[in-house]
Amino acid sequence: MESPIITAVSLTKFYGNSEKPSLDNINLTIYKGEKFGVLGPNGAGKTTLISLFCNIIKSTSGTIEYTFDNQKKNIKEKFNQVGFVPQDFAFYAELTAKQNLYYFGGVYGMSSINVKEQTTHLLEILGLTSVADKKVKSYSGGMKRRLNLAIGLIHSPEIIFLDEPTVGVDIHSKLTIINHLEELNKKGVTIIYTSHHLKEAEDFCSRVALMDNGKVIALDTVAELIKINKAANLEELMINLTGKELRD
Amino acid sequence: MNKLKVSLVKEILLLLSDKVGLLLMFVMPLLLVFIITVVQDSAFKLVNENKIEMLVVNKDQGNLGDSLIDKLAISGSFNIEVSNELDKTDIKKQTLNRDKLIAILIPINFTKKINQNSEKTSNLMLTEFGVIDSSMVQPKNQSYNNYNLDFYFDPILQENFRLSILSGINTVIVGIENRKMLQQLFSDMGYDKIPNHIQKELGQQNVSINSSPASNGSSVMVPNSSQHNVPAWSLFAMFFMVISLGGNIVKERLSGSFVRLQTIPIAFFLTIWSKVIVYIFVSLSQLTIMFCIGMFVFPYLGLPELKMPTNILALIVISVLSAYAAISYSMLIGVYAKTQDQAGGFGAISIIIFAAIGGIWVPSFIMPEYMQNIGMISPLHWCIEGYYSLFLKNGEWNELTGTLIYLLLFIFGCQFFTFIKLRKQNYI
Repeated sequence: MESPIITAVSLTKFYGNSEKPSLDNINLTIYKGEKFGVLGPNGAGKTTLISLFCNIIKSTSGTIEYTFDNQKKNIKEKFNQVGFVPQDFAFYAELTAKQNLYYFGGVYGMSSINVKEQTTHLLEILGLTSVADKKVKSYSGGMKRRLNLAIGLIHSPEIIFLDEPTVGVDIHSKLTIINHLEELNKKGVTIIYTSHHLKEAEDFCSRVALMDNGKVIALDTVAELIKINKAANLEELMINLTGKELRD
Repeated sequence: MNKLKVSLVKEILLLLSDKVGLLLMFVMPLLLVFIITVVQDSAFKLVNENKIEMLVVNKDQGNLGDSLIDKLAISGSFNIEVSNELDKTDIKKQTLNRDKLIAILIPINFTKKINQNSEKTSNLMLTEFGVIDSSMVQPKNQSYNNYNLDFYFDPILQENFRLSILSGINTVIVGIENRKMLQQLFSDMGYDKIPNHIQKELGQQNVSINSSPASNGSSVMVPNSSQHNVPAWSLFAMFFMVISLGGNIVKERLSGSFVRLQTIPIAFFLTIWSKVIVYIFVSLSQLTIMFCIGMFVFPYLGLPELKMPTNILALIVISVLSAYAAISYSMLIGVYAKTQDQAGGFGAISIIIFAAIGGIWVPSFIMPEYMQNIGMISPLHWCIEGYYSLFLKNGEWNELTGTLIYLLLFIFGCQFFTFIKLRKQNYI
């Protein structure tokens, strides 16, 4: 596992004229094949970190390096090896699931045949085949969440960034999503994931970064963090490290 | 190529799913053009072809009141009902009760006053020519008598129609006065009546007015309500794409689709360009449908046929630039609006204001000067100026320079501010 795929050095981000950084001097290395969790309370900087990794926003200072096939690359060169599943439903509700997947596959530069094959595969795996030709606006929350994931996976990326991929879905959809992510990880796909569901993260992630106020306050495997901090589970560990104060 | 193709397909599918947007872009302009053209055509016919219902109360004790009624009847513009029993107090009420648009009350001394004035004019002329001595003219005959003819109208009658009718009546009265004055002149010179050969000449109008529209080139394009309305309302409908396209962009921004596209280089530009291509096609389709209806369907409905300009290349250029201006404005609204409702509401109201000040509803030249100056900020003003040059004046390229320059500047301005906003949001 010890081959780095993303290396962030002194990553800092200020929004607008804010004097408080949203990310404060983050140094982080993520390794190929990891299931890496970025966890923390609201406002900790999780989404900002993912957005920087995906080149959606620019950092105020610091660098991010990607390593593909032992070569350091700019994300723009390897965009089609990176998948992004935002927290919002980032698709066209007026189109069908198939039409959405064909469109996003097409703009990733996939051939028509590949797009069709991958669409059929993903719809099958994520339980959306029966509604593939229905307009997405008629879907339930769980179906929308699964389609959101499918779009991020349409081009078979090597790295997947998932921002709260299971928020607001029922247990069945959650299981389907998590199981598929496990399958992908077994095939060597690196997964970087944020979540408020600490039990889910505890079960799913091989390593986690706990964040608070824009800083990484703990970084290790879940088991090691729990052991070092003498906590019963990840939830207790989080409370111990970040306090009980409300966050907005 | 595949990326552009899928982007175009996506835009077309989104457009087809927007039923309200399609109705606004294709059905609304058809209804507007049809209704406005029928209304304007009817108004034109009301004044020029139909007879106006007129009530006349003749209190005159001489013969000139009857003469006035005869000449108004001969003019062919009025259906006259004479009702001499009415007085000044109930003529207003009866005008409405009897469905008359106008009424006139000929005063009791109408003939007497005209005769007196004719005598005075005749005396003055004969004195001036030295035919009679001024000492022979009685002092009381040296000043003119004013007389009033009362005119009543239904309040629904628009001012321009009312003035047009008044002008017609006035012409008849002036004719009567002149004839009476000449009769008096001949009488004072010892004639029994105006000699027949002069009488005959006086009855003829020797000056005729040839009316023709000012235009370039040899072909004469006669302006009619279709030439005005079809291009004007087509442009109005074209700019109404702001509801569909502007709303569509807001939706993509808010849903996060744009954020996903940010992670894919070029995809964002492709999305923007595919919107431009699809909506230019939509705009040109709107124009084609509207022009075809004006050309082929209007004549069957009894409306004037739309005649296409001879400079087809200029027509295409103005149409494409107008479409691009509408698209650029819609994109600007789409990137700055915070919600879809905001884009739809602000977009629609701004287009209505642009249309009003730009001369789509009423021609700019009848507006006060300051409104004409304000109207020049409206892209619709320049688009319609370009179309009027082509459809009404058969304009050449040099007459379209102002339109072309303004539209290019407007497009550049909208695109620039759209770019700034998208850049600020890190989309591009």
